[in-house]
Amino acid sequence: MSEVARDIGFADRLRVAVHADDPLRRTALCKAVTDAGHMIVGEHDAADIVLADGGHPPSEVRNVIGLGIVGDRLRGALPREADTRQIDAAIRAVAAGLVVRVPVARESGFGAMRESDGHALLTPRELEVLAALAEGMTNKAIARRLDISLHTVKFHVESLFRKLGARTRTEAVAKAAERRRSDIIML
Amino acid sequence: MSFSSDVLTQLSDAISARAEAAKNAVVSVRISEGRHLTGIAWQPGVVVVSEQALPPKDEFELVAPGGTAIEAKLAGRDASTNIAILKTADSIAAPAFTATDAHMGTLALAIGANGAGGASARLGIVNLVDGEWYSRRGGLIDRRIVLDMQLAHREEGGPVFDAAGGCLGMSTFGPRGQVIVIPHATLTRVVPQLVKDGHVARGWLGVALHAVAVPDAFRANADQSSGLMVMSVVENGPAAQAGIVAGDIILSVDGISAHRSRKIARYFGGDSIGRKADVRLIRGGAIITVQTTIAERQAA
Repeated sequence: MSEVARDIGFADRLRVAVHADDPLRRTALCKAVTDAGHMIVGEHDAADIVLADGGHPPSEVRNVIGLGIVGDRLRGALPREADTRQIDAAIRAVAAGLVVRVPVARESGFGAMRESDGHALLTPRELEVLAALAEGMTNKAIARRLDISLHTVKFHVESLFRKLGARTRTEAVAKAAERRRSDIIML
Repeated sequence: MSFSSDVLTQLSDAISARAEAAKNAVVSVRISEGRHLTGIAWQPGVVVVSEQALPPKDEFELVAPGGTAIEAKLAGRDASTNIAILKTADSIAAPAFTATDAHMGTLALAIGANGAGGASARLGIVNLVDGEWYSRRGGLIDRRIVLDMQLAHREEGGPVFDAAGGCLGMSTFGPRGQVIVIPHATLTRVVPQLVKDGHVARGWLGVALHAVAVPDAFRANADQSSGLMVMSVVENGPAAQAGIVAGDIILSVDGISAHRSRKIARYFGGDSIGRKADVRLIRGGAIITVQTTIAERQAA
């Protein structure tokens, strides 16, 4: 049982149907579901959640979590390589009425060149701090690498959070990556 | 009661008739085992596809309307307008497309290929229409047309029609899965260039740029608050030959401020090739100007 499952307890054991064409894949997904403390039910039973891999399930169930399936109508969309923790978290979130998405999924697409004034641009120094954050460095390590004071690092990190609208370091890195993908100009 | 049912039936029949009529406009482009994209039978022997969806290959197998398999070769691709063309070994008959302007709120019918010589249809409305825009890669797109519609990946690249059967353009995906249209006007402008040269001539410096805020220390001298930082330089490209390196912050090109990215994109049109351009940039604590010679962009 995962940590999450233990904390929430047996009462939150959900009924999950697994829809996968590939039998090996089905076995792996069923294991992930039971490891997370949930119960496997048949596709025609009343399931709280349907976990679908490789194709949409035939029925019109609402709470479908797709793995590696593109579709805006899915309640949950995970990458095919999602791990047990992510699958468990997605099952609980979708059962609670939330929509689950991976932030970078389908960010690409044919987009417009943006005029750079208008949104809060990062300074070259902030980009350096961001690169260090992406490597998982601590403020202290960043200060050493960039040869600046710890105070200055904190200042830059706070500025990054504000400009990117992030609350954690991981979120800042993810949001910057998203922005960077859409903002690179080839000349 | 019977009246309203008649109207619905009429609407349904009309849509169905349009979709039927558009069946011979779409071609399946096989991209891997069991997967395909949609192409438009644009003119005899020429199939138009969405560039971003097309794998980097030179030869493709197509399924023509009716189910005949046909070999095709990549004959040109332009990432800046998201248009690629395939030339077919055996000519596929192309229907006549009548260009039409998109209007916000009108019905839009998108046709995809089903992989076996048939078609699939999607109905939605034109969500918004706006003026011309420049893509991330600097291509001019004549109109911004966004559809309120679901589209499968295999249907990307098919034609989009309005209620009167006029062609709005080619369907494709914008950021975040948004369904957009590459307008008919852009297709008629770009496709002939691709048929002729295999690419669209554009000026090129050979740099990847990212907008950054100009550091405070330079604000006064730079006289602008943002610039384009060089993220990478193409080996032996014009920028590399002029000594531009990653980390340089470009402020302007021939006096055009770098934060006017659309103006810069316009400046690097086909007519800029061979022109000398002064690039003003921040490097290592100083503002300097280097001269580059704009080259022609390599085929993608």
